[in-house]
Amino acid sequence: MSLIFIRTVIIFITLLCIMRLMGKRQIGEMQPYELVITLIIADLACIPMADPSIPLLYGLVAILAIYMMHQIVCLLDLKSSAMKRVLSGSPSIVLNKNGIDITQLKKNNLDVSDLVESLRGAGYFSLDAVDYALYEANGTFSALPKSDYESLQDSLPVIIIDEGKFEDKNVALCGKTRREFCDILKENGCADYKKALILTMDGNGKMYFQKKGEKFKIIQADVGGKRLW
Amino acid sequence: MVKTVLSIFISALMLFCISVYERFRVNYVFEAFRERLVALYEKTEEKKATFTDGESVRVFWTAKRKELHVWVTHTSIENVDYQLNEAIGYLFEGKHDDALPKIEVLIEMTKKIPASYSFRFENVF
Repeated sequence: MSLIFIRTVIIFITLLCIMRLMGKRQIGEMQPYELVITLIIADLACIPMADPSIPLLYGLVAILAIYMMHQIVCLLDLKSSAMKRVLSGSPSIVLNKNGIDITQLKKNNLDVSDLVESLRGAGYFSLDAVDYALYEANGTFSALPKSDYESLQDSLPVIIIDEGKFEDKNVALCGKTRREFCDILKENGCADYKKALILTMDGNGKMYFQKKGEKFKIIQADVGGKRLW
Repeated sequence: MVKTVLSIFISALMLFCISVYERFRVNYVFEAFRERLVALYEKTEEKKATFTDGESVRVFWTAKRKELHVWVTHTSIENVDYQLNEAIGYLFEGKHDDALPKIEVLIEMTKKIPASYSFRFENVF
């Protein structure tokens, strides 16, 4: 039984490390260690149940070991903030008043389009509608909107450049060419479009532009005084 | 907090007790079984072993087997059953030379089975 105990502990720790390394993309509303327990406890119960050649005690010991590990992790989580950071991680502020923090996004295996998707899911369609956005330790998404955020998102913005890559479908939707967008970027201090972290444009011609490593800018494009969509 | 510490302590104690009891019990049963098998092997080597000798070993094994099912995988127990029945079958027919390798295998199994449950590097990984 000591073998089963040790093996269970090894699997638990390995899975926990892997889940932490995978970042917040893999987690949804559970702490990493809770997800690990959920992943293995079902199998632990099923194997001796389904295979009569394995004594039932093997499953019971493994479940008891998991319970013990859970209690130890809970205790460490409560008692030490350093251990809490190691075991559960900490919230990642991925968008602040300067714009998108790509380092934090990459740390969590996320990209700009994931952030835009999360924002839309939270009811914010424009990147400039929020002051702060963060992924909590358990993977849930929270955002602090600007006081006048509703007036900032009266038209749906589409991504024109995502991490240095043009979204040609959206470029066509805007009725402009790549060259025109490149010219706009040049006017705003970005000679190479590959250095653009994000460029979005809404139906009113309002653009959200952020160069890699710099603060975002709001640019107004000329759409001939009409609404594009 | 106290409840959590207490639950960790109780579960650790339970795991420790189960582990120690398993180690002690499995080793004890297989050692006792091995002693009987060694005696049977020596008698078979001298061509003095009879079906009754084999049967007495089987009676001992059958009595202990029930308890072993809690600790040892049922496949391992079935393997012992198979080898023992073969050996006793040869003894019934008086084929001592054929029974010897079967008893030898059984003696080896009584060493290997408890060893596979002991706390060793190769068993953990």
